[in-house]
Amino acid sequence: MNRRRRQKFNPINAPALARWIVIFVFLAITGLSYVYLTVQLHSLGTQRRQLERQLADTRTQLEDARVQIATLTSHTALQQRLREGYLKMVPISEQSIVRLNLPLRPAAEEDVQPVSNKRGAR
Amino acid sequence: MKWNGRTRCALVCVLFIAIFSVFSFRLVYLQMVEHDYYAAIAAGKDGATQTIFAERGAIYDAHNEILAQNVPVENVIADCSLMNDREALAPILAKTLKIPSAEIADKIAGDSRYIILKKALPEAVAVSLGKKLSAAKLRGIRFERDFVRRYPNGSMLCHVVGFSNAEHQGVEGVEASMDQYLRGENGFRHIERDRTGRELVLYRGAERPPRNGYDVHLTIDLNLQMIVENELDAAMREYTPQKATIILMRPQTGEILAMANRPNFDPNKITGTNPEHLKNRAITDMMEPGSTFKIVTVSAALNEHKVRLDTPIFCENGPWLFGGRYLHDHRYFGEIPVQDVLVKSSNIGAAKIALMLGDEKFYEYIRSYGFGDRTGIELPGEIGGLIHPPQAWSKISITRMPMGHEVGVTPLQMIMAMATIANGGELVAPRIVKSVVDNDSGKVICDLKPTVVRRVVSREAAAQVALALRGVVSQRGTAVGAAVPGFTVSGKTGTAQKPDPHGGYEKGKEIVSFSGFLPSENPAFVGLVVLDDAHVKSEEENYGGKIAGPIFAHVAEKAARYLDLEPHEEIGKQIASGRVALTNAHR
Repeated sequence: MNRRRRQKFNPINAPALARWIVIFVFLAITGLSYVYLTVQLHSLGTQRRQLERQLADTRTQLEDARVQIATLTSHTALQQRLREGYLKMVPISEQSIVRLNLPLRPAAEEDVQPVSNKRGAR
Repeated sequence: MKWNGRTRCALVCVLFIAIFSVFSFRLVYLQMVEHDYYAAIAAGKDGATQTIFAERGAIYDAHNEILAQNVPVENVIADCSLMNDREALAPILAKTLKIPSAEIADKIAGDSRYIILKKALPEAVAVSLGKKLSAAKLRGIRFERDFVRRYPNGSMLCHVVGFSNAEHQGVEGVEASMDQYLRGENGFRHIERDRTGRELVLYRGAERPPRNGYDVHLTIDLNLQMIVENELDAAMREYTPQKATIILMRPQTGEILAMANRPNFDPNKITGTNPEHLKNRAITDMMEPGSTFKIVTVSAALNEHKVRLDTPIFCENGPWLFGGRYLHDHRYFGEIPVQDVLVKSSNIGAAKIALMLGDEKFYEYIRSYGFGDRTGIELPGEIGGLIHPPQAWSKISITRMPMGHEVGVTPLQMIMAMATIANGGELVAPRIVKSVVDNDSGKVICDLKPTVVRRVVSREAAAQVALALRGVVSQRGTAVGAAVPGFTVSGKTGTAQKPDPHGGYEKGKEIVSFSGFLPSENPAFVGLVVLDDAHVKSEEENYGGKIAGPIFAHVAEKAARYLDLEPHEEIGKQIASGRVALTNAHR
């Protein structure tokens, strides 16, 4: 009986099966690769956008800093600070001045010369 | 028909073929025939053209000190098609943008995809708002990068630098005149967004990068400008004139070193500014120059060899009747040399010299000095002044024009005339723009060189006038107060009555001026001070020599020190005025 049953089974066509398996695997890998690469592209795109944003933010911060520096060091701002007393203008002592022409008026208190900012130097 | 298995199989196949043929036909129809139509719908729904804003170029002074620059900001844009909760969005936006919630709700009620909710939002505030929206998972708001213009020096040099409007177009000053260089070219990028509004970088389309605006470098020296502004402020406090102008210029090259007017404005806070304050009066206002114009008369006569410096001119010892009208001098003069016509500012002497020249010749020289024409300086709104041709002159015009009446000139034209004397007789075109530079590549786009317009008078004639003008700034002259310790100064005072808009002249209102240069032999700069309707204690003090002369001296003293000009030791001893050439910031 066993022999008869064995005779009724279809023989497995191993090479054909292998061929189909290879084709299936190839297609599956291709499909998965396509999906993977597409996702990768999206992910890289997102990273690129983030990097672009970071770059733009950095540039913006740089610009902001430049604007602040220009504003704080502008002539007008420095004059304002001078008036507020943040910067000091101390007269240069008489012995340090080499005069090419005669002084016609004694140096008054408001005759001032710029010197380094001691507070800033600390 | 026999419905056996083979027939049924064929029927099913035909059915499938028919169905798939219909689908295929539809697919081909959609993809090929209707492609453009559906592509446009898709592009309109998910695609967008993103503007990449070009930055406006900066403005610098001669020493690369920044005068105008950009501050990055964000514009808040609403896209109603992407919003998921409008009711929750409005209060959050209202709080941050400081706009009433109802107003925002009204704005975002429709289905528009591009609504500007707020312009020029500071970067930090925009970042904070973005975080709030992300935390609340609200969609439909995005930020566009933009910039606003900032002028770090505020009102200093405002009339020269000018300002630009919200659309980044120059409106006044260099911002307007050099707009074609300062304005960049916006770029663009075609993008696609997902349903949440985020850009799909994978599907980026055509892209063109922006071209940033070029930087403009001026001839202005901010340190000299500071000196001029401080002196102008001091003059405004002391004399409270209606208007005032000071210009400093390098006579050999025509470079404007400083230019300031009052009243002025702050270009950072332009809203609500009186339009009258926006005017650069150095180029837009016409005035009768008064006696400073005598340099034109005398230099023309010297150039034509009609007179020499020592030629005597009889000044009538009093009023002179000519053409049925009396002409007066401020003092009675007898016979004085031509030199003293300038030194003592004799109107009668100048008139008689002009008569020697004749109408046509005198007019020719006036035009040759550039009066009546725009100088072509790189600033908007310049006028050419008003010089009538001899055909339109009255009988007495030839006696009034030599002393600066019946002519309309701008302060810039007046300083140009003085610069012509200072540089040896050549009319040099004034320049305020030094160069235009591409900041990205460092390439110089245009480098403006000094331009000699024409020779007006010979070198000898100019030198003779310069010599005579030295006498003006002496004890003999009308402007002893314009003397600068340690330096030889040549200059001329001017006092003219103020024209009345209804005809004639306004009583008691004068335009006083002083124009001069130093050192006389090799001038480093020419200066002009003009005060319109200065208030003084007595009428006798309302003269160019008394008011404008000392202001010029203060400016010139500090400018000479700053420019490190070498003083002549012996000259300092001769000056009687009580000044010292030390920097005096709190005058």
